[in-house]
Order: sequence, then structure tokens, then C-alpha cells
Amino acid sequence: MSRTDAHDTAEPMVYIVDDDSSVRASLQDLLASVGLASMAFGSAREFMQARLPDAPACLVLDVRMPGVSGLDFQQDMARLNILVPVIFITAHGDIPMSVKAMKAGALEFLTKPFREQDLLDAISLGLDRDQLRRQTAATLDELRRRHGTLNDGEREVMALVVSGLLNKQVAARLGVSEVTVKVRRGALMRKMNADSLATLVKMSEKLKDVDR
Amino acid sequence: MRRTQLTLRLLLLLGLALGIAAIDTVTDLEIAVGVFQIVVVLIAVRLLPARAVAGVSVACMVLTILSYRYTRFGDSEAGLINVLISLAAIAGTTYLALRLSAAIGTVHRTRAHLAHIARVNMLGELAASIAHEVNQPLAAVANSSSACLRWMANDPPNLPKARQAVERILADTHRASDIIARLRGMARHQAPTKQWLNVADTVNAALRLLAGELNEQNIHLRVQIQEGLPPMLVDEVQIQQVLLNLAMNAIDALRQVDDDDRRTLDVRAGLEAGQLHFSVSDQGKGLAGNDHERVFDAFYSTKPDGMGMGLAISRSIIEAHDGRIWVASNPQSGATFHFTLPAVTREPDEQN
Repeated sequence: MSRTDAHDTAEPMVYIVDDDSSVRASLQDLLASVGLASMAFGSAREFMQARLPDAPACLVLDVRMPGVSGLDFQQDMARLNILVPVIFITAHGDIPMSVKAMKAGALEFLTKPFREQDLLDAISLGLDRDQLRRQTAATLDELRRRHGTLNDGEREVMALVVSGLLNKQVAARLGVSEVTVKVRRGALMRKMNADSLATLVKMSEKLKDVDR
Repeated sequence: MRRTQLTLRLLLLLGLALGIAAIDTVTDLEIAVGVFQIVVVLIAVRLLPARAVAGVSVACMVLTILSYRYTRFGDSEAGLINVLISLAAIAGTTYLALRLSAAIGTVHRTRAHLAHIARVNMLGELAASIAHEVNQPLAAVANSSSACLRWMANDPPNLPKARQAVERILADTHRASDIIARLRGMARHQAPTKQWLNVADTVNAALRLLAGELNEQNIHLRVQIQEGLPPMLVDEVQIQQVLLNLAMNAIDALRQVDDDDRRTLDVRAGLEAGQLHFSVSDQGKGLAGNDHERVFDAFYSTKPDGMGMGLAISRSIIEAHDGRIWVASNPQSGATFHFTLPAVTREPDEQN
């Protein structure tokens, strides 16, 4: 699989949403000391209103904040399809709270004051995960784009070829000559940038997963 | 001890019932003295458990019937009607009195339960918000310290950044201590309003609040207050709060004690070494080894549903009154909590 997207080179970014300014400042400094760029926000609303860079990211989110609480915001994010991995930090956490957060897909739930290594580990895991997610999404976009360049004839041939039919059978099914099938097949393999039938089958599976 | 008291009360009631029956017997049938048996029932409701009250009531009815049987003078038809009225009165009174005392008992229990819940909720909320407030600067301090260490570990060390981190640590440390200072200020908000009080009156007023609880738990209260104690200059509510706290702990400790003789709460007050000395002791399970030092710590409790605040608050009250509070194990079983208050003379000028 080729990776031609540009996202990999973007500098990862850590977002911090906490209502306490000294917690924000100290977290930013801590991240800076390990060479991580970060942006800090005093509330979930500020975060939503900000222009965010297009980069792999993860969100360090305080649970207890005036206005929208961290847990509520997590729900909002799911609804708005914001897929940034979330690490919760809280000054007083209880078990039901952490269970709720983890069930909703949080990466980690840390109680303040936490060990820096726990936070840094969680952040690095979150950034890795977001990077992977972005790559998968980018690959898919690319696949779709390529699939879009196929003409109708090529698309038909592709559908039948990946279902396991031989050229001869495809030709019979479509009522065209075997040579035509071969030509279309060559073109679609080039356009899809697939080096083998196996690769093409995988690509078609991915496209189907998305359509589902 | 309790058993003899119970027997004594029963005998007195029986005497009263017999007396009424005797008068009923010697008077004419037309005079329904038997109705006065309801007095016996009403007294019994105050002194005895429900089942015993029912027994007393039946005994009164039997006595009324017997006295009708043996009364020599008067119209027997009127006598029969009078007896029936007496019996109905006794039965009705018993029923109503028992219902009333059950209702009162329920009200007491519900009120105590509600008070407990309210207290626990409030303290839980308080603890949670204190934890939140104090943990914020602590988290910032921890983060800044880690950052500082990393800036210093750089090659070459990034001293300006490290210095900034340390400055933030200092600021957050002060912020944490400000929060704690504010909390202490809040706790002290209700400044004690001290007044001259009589020791015996204060102790008895506090213990009166426990009468229902003691009765319900079948616990005997023994109060010994030395005669002629000097008055004390204290905040009445606060000192009563301490006494109630200690007494409630003792009652809780006695809850599991089955032996009737041990179900006794001892409260003493006296003058020792120039100080007023109070003690509250029970014969419950007592305290384990290191509990002696820890029971006065906040949030430390030996009770499964305890908040660990009662004794901590008691200690701060006593210390605010220049007194001392401590606990000792009793030789046989249970614990005794002691506290002292300064014995002030009202007019120090006269002493010199």
C-alpha cells in the first residue's frame, strides 16, 4: 500500500482543555520540555471555536469544568464525529466516572496529581493512534479518488474480477470480447495503482467497508 | 440493674391497679372507679415496652371484672354496664396509647436517620470539593516539577525555562496554602460565643436529647456530677456537641453488647488538678491498639459508615476552649473519652 498523504509530516499537536490556568500552563511547559507542541483552552467552547491545525492530535480533557463538563463534551464529540483520542484528567475521580469515560472510548483516565510518565505515555499512545487513524482515512480518500477516475466499463470489470471471475467469464457476463476485458483490466489496475489482483481485492474490500 | 428497675416499676403499677380495684370493690356498683385503670395503662406506656403494656392492660381488665364480681352493694345491672364501660375504656386507651407511642418512635427514628444522611451528604460534598480545590495546584506543582527536571536534564540545561517552572511551583504552592487557609477560616467562621454556664445543667441538657435513643437501645445512663463545681466559660452549643458526640459514639459501641449489665453509659464531671474534668465511658468493644492515637484524626473512623469527623471536630472545639481531649481503654472492656476545660474563677480579683 502506498502512502502518499502529507499528514505524516505535520507536527503532532496536543490540545489541553482545563479550566485551571496554572494546570494549563504547567502542562504546556511539561509537554514543551519533552518537545511536544500543545495548545491550551479554558473551556470546551473555546476549543470548539478555535482553528485547529490539520495534524495528528490528542486531547487532554479535564472532567470537572464550569459550563460543559469533560464527560458531556466527550459525548458531544462523538455526536459531532470529532475523532481525536481523549485523555481525561480530574482532580477528584470516582469509579463510576472513570467507567463512564472509558466506556465512551477515552484512552486514559488520570487523577490529579498524576505521574508525568503516565500522562506522557497516554499522550504518545493517543498521537500514534490518531496518526494511524488519519493515515487509514487518507488512504481511503485516495482509494475513493482513484476509484472515481474509473469509467463505467472499468468499474464493471473491476467488480467482477474481484469477485473471482476469469477474464473469459467476465467477457461472457458483460457481453464484450475478452480483449476488451483485458484492456479495461489493464487500465483499471493502472488507475487504481494496484500491482496484483490480491491488492485490488483488498482495495475493493476497503471501499465496500466504507460504503457499508 | 435494669431488670430490678423494671421489676420495681411493674410492682408499683400493680400496686396502683390493685388500689383502684380495691376502691372499686368497696364502693357501690353504680360508681365506675374501674375506669381509672386507664391511668395505670397511660403510665405503663411511658415506662414499659409495648408487650408489657398489653399485659398490664389485660391485668387491669381482669381486676375490674373481679372487683365487679366481689362488690356487694348496688344495682347489679348498672354495675354490669359500668364494668363494660370500664373495660371498653381500658381497651381503647391501651390501643390508642400504643399506636401513639409507635408513631412517636417512628418519627424519632426517621428524624435521626435523616439527620445522619444529611450530615454524611454534606461532609461527602465538602470532602469532594476540598479534594478538587487542593488537587488542582498540586497537579500543577507536579507537572511543573517534572518539566523543570527535564529542562535541567537538557544538554545544555535550559535554565531560564527551569527557573520559570520553579516560579510557577512557588506560586501554586502558595495557592494551595491559601485554599487551606480559607477552609480553616470557614471552619472558624462560627466564633464561639462563650458564656458562664453551670456544669450540671449543661451536661444534663445535652444528655436529655439522648433520652429517646437510650430508651430505645435499652441503655442505662449513669451520670455523676460532683457537687459545687465552679461555673465554666464556654460555648454552650459546642460543648454540648462534644458531649453528644462522645455519648453517641458510646451508644454505637454498646449496640453490639448483649449483656444487659454492660449496657451502661457513664458520664462524669468533676474537678481534678484545678481543671474541670469530663468523661464518657462505655463497656463496648473498646479500641484497638493504634486507634487510640488515630481516632481524633479527620476522616479516620472505626465505624463502617462513619465519616471520621465527629472526634476531629470535638478535638478542635475542646482545643479552642484551651482544654485537652484523650481516650483510654477501660480495665475490663470499652473505652473512656476524657476532656478537660479550664476551671476559671469568676472574679479573679478576689482570689488574690
